[in-house]
Amino acid sequence: MNTGMDAKKLQHALQPAGEQAALTVGTPQEGAPARKEEIVRFGISAAPGIVIGRAFVVDTEETLSVPRTRIPQDKVEDEVQKFRRALELTRGELLQIKTDLAERMGDDHAKIFDAHLLILDDVMVIEDTEALIRTEGYNAAWALREVISRVVSSLSNIADEYLKERAADIVDVKRRVLRKLLGLERIKPLNPLEPSIIVAPELAPSDTAQVDRRLVIGYATDRGGRTSHTAILARSQGIAAVVGLEDTSALIETGDTLILDGNCGTVIINPLDDTLAKYRIEIERWKVFEAQLLTLTGYPAETLDHHKVELMANIDLPNEVQSALDHGAEGIGLFRSEYFFIAHEQLPTEEEQYKVYRAVVDKMKNKPVTIRVLDIGGDKIAGYLHRSAELNPFMGWRGIRFLLTRKDIFKTQLRAIYRASGHGQVRLMFPLIVGIEEVQRAKEICEEVKDDLTRSRYQIDRDLKIGIMVETPSAVAMAGALAKEVDFFSIGTNDLIQYTMAVDRGNTKISYLYQHLHPSIIRFLKMTVDAAQKHGIPTAICGEMCADPLAAVVLIGLGIDEFSCSPNMIPEIKKIVRSVTYDECKTIVKRVLQWSTTEKIEAHVEAFLRERIPDLSLFAEGKKHG
Amino acid sequence: MIEFETQVNNKIGVHLRAAGEFVKTATKFTSEIFVVKNGRKANGKSILGLASLAIERGARITVRIDGRDEREASAAIEELIANNFNEE
Repeated sequence: MNTGMDAKKLQHALQPAGEQAALTVGTPQEGAPARKEEIVRFGISAAPGIVIGRAFVVDTEETLSVPRTRIPQDKVEDEVQKFRRALELTRGELLQIKTDLAERMGDDHAKIFDAHLLILDDVMVIEDTEALIRTEGYNAAWALREVISRVVSSLSNIADEYLKERAADIVDVKRRVLRKLLGLERIKPLNPLEPSIIVAPELAPSDTAQVDRRLVIGYATDRGGRTSHTAILARSQGIAAVVGLEDTSALIETGDTLILDGNCGTVIINPLDDTLAKYRIEIERWKVFEAQLLTLTGYPAETLDHHKVELMANIDLPNEVQSALDHGAEGIGLFRSEYFFIAHEQLPTEEEQYKVYRAVVDKMKNKPVTIRVLDIGGDKIAGYLHRSAELNPFMGWRGIRFLLTRKDIFKTQLRAIYRASGHGQVRLMFPLIVGIEEVQRAKEICEEVKDDLTRSRYQIDRDLKIGIMVETPSAVAMAGALAKEVDFFSIGTNDLIQYTMAVDRGNTKISYLYQHLHPSIIRFLKMTVDAAQKHGIPTAICGEMCADPLAAVVLIGLGIDEFSCSPNMIPEIKKIVRSVTYDECKTIVKRVLQWSTTEKIEAHVEAFLRERIPDLSLFAEGKKHG
Repeated sequence: MIEFETQVNNKIGVHLRAAGEFVKTATKFTSEIFVVKNGRKANGKSILGLASLAIERGARITVRIDGRDEREASAAIEELIANNFNEE
């Protein structure tokens, strides 16, 4: 979805007319009329789905008010005992959450709580707190608060992202213990009384871990990106989510009506009746349309003139495989291996990785599983791997650059992948390639790994297909040379557009430049596909672009062989593929290649698609595509 | 009491994982163990304490051990640091 543009148009479409217009934008006002104003806010679409519901605001940054008292000398030891009991109770609570989470979401998610437990047991914190109780006669809660704030401030002076994240864990643990000391209830799981949209500045893993899916229909948070924990968890839970909403949570009160559009990354607070009506219609349409789409699951993704494309799924975690299959994926086109690394406290071992890859391969039976090797860096940083902050991480030490300098990590991952390859159809993909030297070096390492494994009598697929991500302008320019080195291309449109247009899509001032159908992008795609076809290798697309219906028409016409996107977008693409002919898509591509503005190209494709499939969600009222 | 000075040479200094290894070794002994860097002292049995010293690669630290098993503790800790905190 071309979120930036959609959002703009949407905002325009939603501006109410007449007297209410005066109340729309801006800060909440004193003595405002009973009817609360409608506010539209834009964030990052983190998990798809549109929901309407009541807000349940969670103040994850609440300041527990901690009283400061003096404990009489003869009661000091009682206070120390009270502190120890609180630690004990907290330990029980954390272990309980960890066990529950391991059962529901798997051990990887549960590991996050190991850090919490280590902090809880930290001898310095315990000794210093007890010392303050004994020497100063402070009450336990105040003493603990003093000690923790000292630790947090000394940690926050260290330029280390990983440690800074731990500071959040430390505060989380402190709150739990304080609640015990102050006789407050345990931090409740985020479970509202009625099905609600959870609104918070930020959600810690310990918040989202405990939600009841029947009561939580959406997440809206001020911070976070597409790869933040909340986003990934929401996607795997199938709960709509919008993150990166900046200061939105402060504008919302529990009980406010919200529309949360996880497809566009929009949140509408106290929507007007008209807006509600529009969205209700859209949700209904979407439901009907989706039900109708799901009936397509058994049919091939074939155009009216029998040109076949493969529809594949992008996943982050093994438990998303079921959803991929349910939506009719013919394989996994992109298994991002980073999340597994990010969730770990330390490097996952070969065995741990093997288990994960094997689980996905087994579940997919003999369908292809494309594993992208670790793409750390950019917006995805695992603290223990990547210590120093870079000035410009998207152009920094990431992707294949990282792996070629950390061969130990690279080899361990390759061994795990090759071992899994003996049990199904595995493909391997290298990220952020800019030239053939990188591919050649990476392939040499693959050869070494293959030989080692064969010598150790592992059963591996020696002909495992190796491909590259085409996501830099340099790779496009070198596509001819690169095509000779590899078995397939997979175009990562998110990064390719970002690098080509020199646009950071997270920057709202310029995100309008992030255009799927910009003429430069279409030309680059054409160059890539042409080079691939000349050398007889297939081209896949694994960015969000392929889930944009307008772009899909162009991609079909360009001769892209494989589309890979979030599982829930697959049926819609299939619908498009099955409603058009390859010939007419080719004609459209020929025509738009002559044009030099996005606007003209989009208008042309939109007119064609609207005539062909009028009930596509993007044609719903109020959601006109840019 | 045993006191020795040493240099930290593992890849990225005493980050959380290395601090964890240090604590794991230190807690095997009953002796009190402290680490001093630039005049700041931390309990060698506390991950948070060690981490907040921000010991970077190449930094010189002083380890101070006091107790009945100080000899064994000192040997174990010296070995750990020499082995770069068992990194890989």
